[in-house]
Amino acid sequence: MALTQTEFEAMLNDATKCIVGDIAWQMDEDHSPCLDFRAEVLSGSGWPLFVRGSLNPLIPALSYMLILKTEGRVYGLDMGKDHHNPQCQQVGECHKHRWTEQLRDKEAYVPVDIAASPAQPVDVWLQFCAEAGIDHRGRMLPPPPQTGELFL
Amino acid sequence: MSVTNMCADLQRGLGELFSCAPHGEFQCIRTPYLYPDGDNIDLFVKANGDVASVSDLGETLRWLRTQTVSPRRSPKQNALIADACLTHGVELYKGMLLARCRPGDSLAEVTLRVAQACLRVSDLWFTFRTRAVESVTDEVADFLMERQFSFEHGAKLLGRSGRGWTVDFHVRVPAQSSLVYVLSTGSRSAARSVAEHVLAAWYDLSHLAAGPEALRFVSLFDDTADVWTPEDFRLVEPLSAVTRWSQPDEFAQVLAEAA
Repeated sequence: MALTQTEFEAMLNDATKCIVGDIAWQMDEDHSPCLDFRAEVLSGSGWPLFVRGSLNPLIPALSYMLILKTEGRVYGLDMGKDHHNPQCQQVGECHKHRWTEQLRDKEAYVPVDIAASPAQPVDVWLQFCAEAGIDHRGRMLPPPPQTGELFL
Repeated sequence: MSVTNMCADLQRGLGELFSCAPHGEFQCIRTPYLYPDGDNIDLFVKANGDVASVSDLGETLRWLRTQTVSPRRSPKQNALIADACLTHGVELYKGMLLARCRPGDSLAEVTLRVAQACLRVSDLWFTFRTRAVESVTDEVADFLMERQFSFEHGAKLLGRSGRGWTVDFHVRVPAQSSLVYVLSTGSRSAARSVAEHVLAAWYDLSHLAAGPEALRFVSLFDDTADVWTPEDFRLVEPLSAVTRWSQPDEFAQVLAEAA
């Protein structure tokens, strides 16, 4: 059954959403310069949700995504790359996606609550959790430093 | 506008759609191309002597990973990525799509090749299950083919009651054949009725589980969505082997093993 706007708003406003435990950045499946993590989101309502984080320190580009397992990304923050909205405006390199029935996750807007830069993933994480209504009962470990030559 | 003017306008305008600016140790090329959600495709150029490398710095596969519920890409998706790289003459190295611009090469041509590869690879997004193009049953069919199981998809069988049932897979192996129902739903409220439907099917088809060519019944739960309760598993357990899609190797083992 398709997600409705009412369900999405209820999910985002559900103040019982929480992540339990520390979060550590891991190497991705391609062993690329990027780092990832995945954390299950628990809630009283039982939404099948998780957060995926992704960092490309070379750019730097940072993303935190709230993913509903039956729908895909429903809410997310992107930093370090621009976005083009369906109405043909460029949004900017710091933007958020918020699911709607009409456009799903294709429309983005400039958030006012993200003050940190993509080079500060832990600070951005705290700001992301605050607006997404996620109580993180643990801490995010800083990403490990990059080592080695890239490709040249 | 004359045809000559149109071509001149095109020549002028296409170049303007690509911008280039210093970005740390790279030059960043902002292309007019977009990932399927509307994010811009940026490429990065770095020179080393006479050779420059044009790369997405891993952004395309990073973008793909942030869009999916699956922890890893499937072999089929990796094969599609390799095919896109081959088509455009692009190398996949440590998750980065890249190509060299050697002396005499056109940077514009290399840039377009890499950008096209990024587009093709990111279009794998359309095959993700949450985009309703591919179902979990399709994924299971791909898996059975990869593991070289002989199977019939959507086998129609008659129950003892006279009712017809469409079982997702009839898998034939040397030891014993199996019938497989894939239990999949995104809704907790629907999960119980899915389990009850499969229970009814196994009960009505139970005559096929007897005799010298007895079929084995396998209930495969799509547990990528956390919608199932222990009771749902227990409902079908007395009449079938319970397996989980998060553990495909165990599913394959159940199919392959003797009765």
